[in-house]
Amino acid sequence: MSAGTARVPFHGARDGEAALTWGQRLMWRAVHLMGDSQTFLNCPWVLAVYGRRDLTTVLAALRVLLERHESLRTTFTATPDGPVQRVTRDGELTVHLVEAGPERGLQVAERLAAEMSRTAFAHGEDLPLRCAVVLKGGRPMALAFCFSHLAVDYQALSLLAEEWRALLKGEDLPPAGWQPMDQAALEREESWQARSGRSIEHWRSVLEEVPLDVFDHAPREPEDPRFIEVGMESVALAAAAERLAERWTVSTTSILIASCATVLAVVSGRPRAVMQLVHSNRRDARTRTMVGTVGQDGLLVLDLPATDFAAACRDAHRAALQAYRNAHYDPFAMQSMREEIGRRRGREPDLDAFFNDRRGIGDWPSLPRFAPGQDLSVLTGKTRTYVTNAWPGVRFKAFFTVGTATDTGQLSLIIDTAYLTRDTATTLLLAIETILVRSLTEEVPMAEIPRLCLQPS
Amino acid sequence: MTAGTDPIRARLADMIVEASGRELRAEDVLAGDHPLSALGLTSLARISLIDAVEDAFDCQIDLGGPLASFEYLDVLATHLARLGAGDPAGPPR
Repeated sequence: MSAGTARVPFHGARDGEAALTWGQRLMWRAVHLMGDSQTFLNCPWVLAVYGRRDLTTVLAALRVLLERHESLRTTFTATPDGPVQRVTRDGELTVHLVEAGPERGLQVAERLAAEMSRTAFAHGEDLPLRCAVVLKGGRPMALAFCFSHLAVDYQALSLLAEEWRALLKGEDLPPAGWQPMDQAALEREESWQARSGRSIEHWRSVLEEVPLDVFDHAPREPEDPRFIEVGMESVALAAAAERLAERWTVSTTSILIASCATVLAVVSGRPRAVMQLVHSNRRDARTRTMVGTVGQDGLLVLDLPATDFAAACRDAHRAALQAYRNAHYDPFAMQSMREEIGRRRGREPDLDAFFNDRRGIGDWPSLPRFAPGQDLSVLTGKTRTYVTNAWPGVRFKAFFTVGTATDTGQLSLIIDTAYLTRDTATTLLLAIETILVRSLTEEVPMAEIPRLCLQPS
Repeated sequence: MTAGTDPIRARLADMIVEASGRELRAEDVLAGDHPLSALGLTSLARISLIDAVEDAFDCQIDLGGPLASFEYLDVLATHLARLGAGDPAGPPR
């Protein structure tokens, strides 16, 4: 129930205009490629109001965030010299006030954040965030946000959440440091341009040979809507990934990359998986406290070993390092190279298979504790799969995402139903769980994996 | 490990500690008993380390060969010594 609006005036330290950072350029291009479906890129987010804080205190904390982080005061505009970021020093954010009624405040906030995310941003005019405060009897309980992905990535949201907790406790924050305009200037320096060039050459070497399509088979009549997301929540998946990572001295991300790449290769009938890895890319220490969008895509090439899944994980660990290392480039220069490859090969190779680990940490800290060696296979009976979402115009053939839940393994797969059915997607997710859980007690030969992927689990 | 790699090992250990956000201790790194991942060096930290090594030693790290996993201090130190990066504090080669 609407309880009106409040205004949050802000006065930042500086304003300015700069070229887009590499992270912003990637998002700028994605936003324009997606057209009406760009709302897929919006970032819904919720912050709880800790303690008994009044509305004035909550709005004051919000003002501090807006003033500290230039990204939250930025519009993005096309100019004859290319798109630019424009930081405004002064302005005002209008915040909607919503009474929760009988529902929990956080629940209402989650719903509002999702609702706000269904509308595209006018990036040239709008601040890159929308906000509503959820009240209970006039007392703030939670904030619902929708951010533009041009302004934040998931690491930035985590930073905002940390600062939010500190602000509500009344703590002083250290001065805000590195900002996207600083990053844009750094990326023009010679050493960064050289690294960008080397990354682009690595991609070129892959794109010259990669198959032009993700799948060889012809498209079928798709579902309507065409793109759906199948999700899985599995404690067994997370617990097995943690154990295997420790056993094989690789990260849980590498375990999950190996499993997703393996099932993708199997279902496409190829010995090699080629996937883009969404990478946080905060390799420069200065970016680690920056609110902005820094993530870029790496290109993973994994040749399936002839032996077993353990070997695939070790290979994936190395291949991911190569991919991450070359996820640092000017996206506009990368696009020029891809177009050049397209002219030479008849068209650009389709690289619409992705993996994204949204977790900011390498484990699941709230996972139930299990005794060492405890049989995890019984947990698979509690695994849940579901269709979570659908978009008409995203263009992914297959997009695996590891979710941010800390008490269970969330793995989802967006599919193009012209190429994969929802039943196949479900089977692939369950196959990944099976591969990981079985690997705890036996070697899983690669030759056995097709049987898990191509039959109902 | 050869005697010629000692200064490089020491410098690399400091860089690894730095890349880890000072989560790792130089003595654990120098002990060389475990791969860097086992000590807790994340993928992101390894990428930061590669950038730092390239800048400090004025070289390009090729992840296609023996450094593919970028996990072992001694392998990296030996590689850099072979490149002639014997004096990491010296001028760029």
